Amino acid sequence: MRLLLTLIFIFSFTNSFAHEMTPAYPKFSNSYINNVSTTKMKLFNKREDISYYKVEVLTNDWKPIAFASTNKIIKLGYNKTILFDVYVQTKDIKHVVYICTVSKNFKQEKKVTLVASRICSKID
Amino acid sequence: MLKKLAVICSLILSTPAFATNSPISGNVQAKCSIWTETQGVYGNPLPNKLDTLPASGGTKASIRVDIAQANFYKTRFTHPISFSSSPTLSDTVAWTGSTVVGQVSVAGMSAYEAAKVVSPSNVTTFDMTLAGSTWFTVSSTAMYGYAKSFPAGSYVAQIVAECIAK
Repeated sequence: MRLLLTLIFIFSFTNSFAHEMTPAYPKFSNSYINNVSTTKMKLFNKREDISYYKVEVLTNDWKPIAFASTNKIIKLGYNKTILFDVYVQTKDIKHVVYICTVSKNFKQEKKVTLVASRICSKID
Repeated sequence: MLKKLAVICSLILSTPAFATNSPISGNVQAKCSIWTETQGVYGNPLPNKLDTLPASGGTKASIRVDIAQANFYKTRFTHPISFSSSPTLSDTVAWTGSTVVGQVSVAGMSAYEAAKVVSPSNVTTFDMTLAGSTWFTVSSTAMYGYAKSFPAGSYVAQIVAECIAK
């Protein structure tokens, strides 16, 4: 009955868009560069209205930490998935708590309100 | 003699066994997804007011959060306190807004509303302790200056919906 209700709720809305990122609890491992650690993340864009996502690496207080990635702003089409690596200096690893992706809207967007979505994984 | 014969027969008759790799595969699925069901729209019921209330001609934003695994995530909603784009404004804008739990797929999720944390005033955090879908309704109101009209033009404000692993 609960499952049926869930399905009814889900399918009663047709025009919805999602943003997903995995894993929820990533782990850093040594990269091929000395003193740099890396982890691999997967981003899925099911938001038709969004084409760009920004990657963030943050402390427990939501302060940014320097990192490197193939692209800090990822261009990702609708219904597409991308794997991306995040590189952080090993000395900073103990401060890293969240890796987030945030949807980016165009400033000149004509819609009256916009919904930005942000998904944060927590370092295990 | 009979024992030897039995061993030879069993060796000949036994079917050969082949070693093979038997992989176990699996996919890691997202445990929290943010679904934008309805993008909000501001109505303009008064010259100095923009409001997402249906009574004011607006539409509240509806955002669904799907949780596949209970107690692993919290969600956070930030309603706007500035326009991301607007005509030039010469006076201050007073912002109010709220995020409330709408429909729920599991009855127990109704308790999220009482347990929500509002801090600072435009940020509302919910602890997602149950698996299933929850719809959140975000409303926003902007009042311009004292008895002043908003300049004509296009106004855009942004709501931020977040899924944060606990």
